[in-house]
Amino acid sequence: MTSRNIGIMRYNPEQDKKPHTESYQVEADDNTSVLDALQQVQQQDPSLSFRWSCRMAICGSCGVMVNSVPKLGCQTFLRDYPDSLVISPLSNFAVEKDLIVDMEPFLEHLSAIKPWLINSEQSTVPHVQTPQQLARYQQFANCINCGLCYSACPQFGLNPEFRGPAALALAHRYNLDSRDLGKAERMPQLNAKDGVWTCTFVGFCSEVCPKKVDPAAAINQGKVESAKDMILSVFKSSGVR
Amino acid sequence: MPSHNNSRRPYLPAFRRDWWLQLRFYQLYMLREATVLPLLFFISCLIYGLYSLSQGESQWLKWLDFMARPWVVALNVLTLAASLFHAKTFFELFPRVMPLAPPSLMIAVQWLATVVVAGGFVVLLGAWV
Amino acid sequence: MSNSGQQPTRSDEPIWWALFSAGGVCFAVVIPGAILAVGVLYPLGLIPGEMLGFERIRHLLFESFLGFAGFIFVGVAICLPLFHAFHRIRHGLHDLQWAHGWAAKSACYCSATLLSVIALGLWVAAH
Ligand code: SF4
Ligand code: FES
Repeated sequence: MTSRNIGIMRYNPEQDKKPHTESYQVEADDNTSVLDALQQVQQQDPSLSFRWSCRMAICGSCGVMVNSVPKLGCQTFLRDYPDSLVISPLSNFAVEKDLIVDMEPFLEHLSAIKPWLINSEQSTVPHVQTPQQLARYQQFANCINCGLCYSACPQFGLNPEFRGPAALALAHRYNLDSRDLGKAERMPQLNAKDGVWTCTFVGFCSEVCPKKVDPAAAINQGKVESAKDMILSVFKSSGVR
Repeated sequence: MPSHNNSRRPYLPAFRRDWWLQLRFYQLYMLREATVLPLLFFISCLIYGLYSLSQGESQWLKWLDFMARPWVVALNVLTLAASLFHAKTFFELFPRVMPLAPPSLMIAVQWLATVVVAGGFVVLLGAWV
Repeated sequence: MSNSGQQPTRSDEPIWWALFSAGGVCFAVVIPGAILAVGVLYPLGLIPGEMLGFERIRHLLFESFLGFAGFIFVGVAICLPLFHAFHRIRHGLHDLQWAHGWAAKSACYCSATLLSVIALGLWVAAH
C-alpha cells in the first residue's frame, strides 16, 4: 500500500455555484479500484456522494469520468493512472451532487424505443429460438444501462434530444429478436431526425462501452434499416405491396 | 421533478466548443471528417479540367500546366494522403454497418478494389507500363 | 422532453446518407488512383504528357464505353464525392457549433447539386 493523491470533482448544490476539484490522499495498491478509492475518501469526508452497488461491472451504476473518459469506477484501477487521476461526474448529464448525475433524460430515451419484447400473439407453445437467431442480437443484449456511451457521445452533448447509443442499440436488439413483432412500432423513433440520423459515427461510445455492445455499429445498422423502411413506405403509399 | 425539494440545483455546463480537441479519439474523428477539404480541392481541379477540355486544345494544355505547378502537386499529394486515411477509416467502418463477411476479409477486399482501380488508371494513362 | 404520445416525423436523411455513403466508397476506391495518376505521377513526369494529350483524353472520355466513360467518371470522381464532402461539411459545421439547421443543410446539399450539374453540363458541352 502506498499513499497517493487523487482529484475528485465536488459540487454541493446548497453551497457551490459550480463544481470544483479537490484533492485527497488515498492508500492504493495494484488492486485498488476507483470505486475503492472513492469509498476511502468517503471515510474521510462522509458528505462525498456517488453511486455504486454490485462492484462487479453488472449493475452499471458507478459510471464516472476518469481523466475525461467515461469509466465504470469498479472496473477501473488506480494502477493504470500512475501520474494523475481526476474523477468527475459523467459528462453530458446534469450534476445533482458531487459524482451523482441526473440520469432521467437517459431513461426517457431508453423507454421511448420500447425496449421489451412486443408480441401479442396468443400462443401456448414456447417461442423456440435457434442459436443462430440468438446470435443475431446477443451482442446488443449485453447492455447494463450504465450510460457511459452517452457521456462519450458528442452528438448527445450537442443535441440532448438525440435518442443516443444505448437506446438505439437496444431498439436494434429487439428488432433483431425472432420472438419480437414490434419493429413497426419502433421504426418511427429510429427514422426521426433525433433517432439514428443524429449519429455521425464518431464511435467513441463503442470504445468506452464496458460490455463491448458496439452501440455505434447498432445505430449504423439502424440507418440501413431506416433507409429500407423509407423505401418500403414509398411503395406502400403508392399502393404497391 | 419533485418541487418540494428546493435544494435541487442540477448543474449542466454548456457543451464545450473545443470538445474535439480534448481527446485524441475526437481529434482523429475530426481529421477523418476534414479529409473532405482536400477532396474538394481535387474535385475543383477535375471540374477545371472538364471546363478546359470543353474549351479546346490550348486551354487543355493550360490545365496540364496548372496540374504540374508545385503548389498544386503539393496539395494533391496531401489529398492523396487524405483519401488513403479516409479509405482506412471507411473500410474499417463498413463491416460494422453491414456485417456481410468476417471484417478482416471485407477490409482486404476493399483495399484490393482501391489498388485495382489505381492500377487501372496508371495503366490507362501510362501506356509505357 | 421526449414525446411518448405522438410519432416523430420521418427524416429525409436516408437520401443524403445514401449519397454520402456512395460518395464515400468512390472517395476511398476511385479517388486515390485518380489523384495518383493525374495529380502526382503526371506532374512528376512518370506519366508522359502525350498520354494526357487533348485528343487522347477526349477519345477516352467520349468514345470508350459506348461514349459513357466520361459520364461514369464524372459520376464517381466528381458528383458522388461532392455529396460525400458536403454531407461531412454539414455535420462538421454542426460539430463545431458554427451552423446547423435547415439553412446550413440546404446550403450544403444545394452546393453539391449545383456543382454536380455544372460538371455534368461540362461533360455534355465538351462533346
Ligand atoms: S451500450 Fe455499453 S456504454 Fe452504453 S449503456 Fe449499454 S453497457 Fe453502458
Ligand atoms: S458498482 Fe455495479 S457496475 Fe460498478
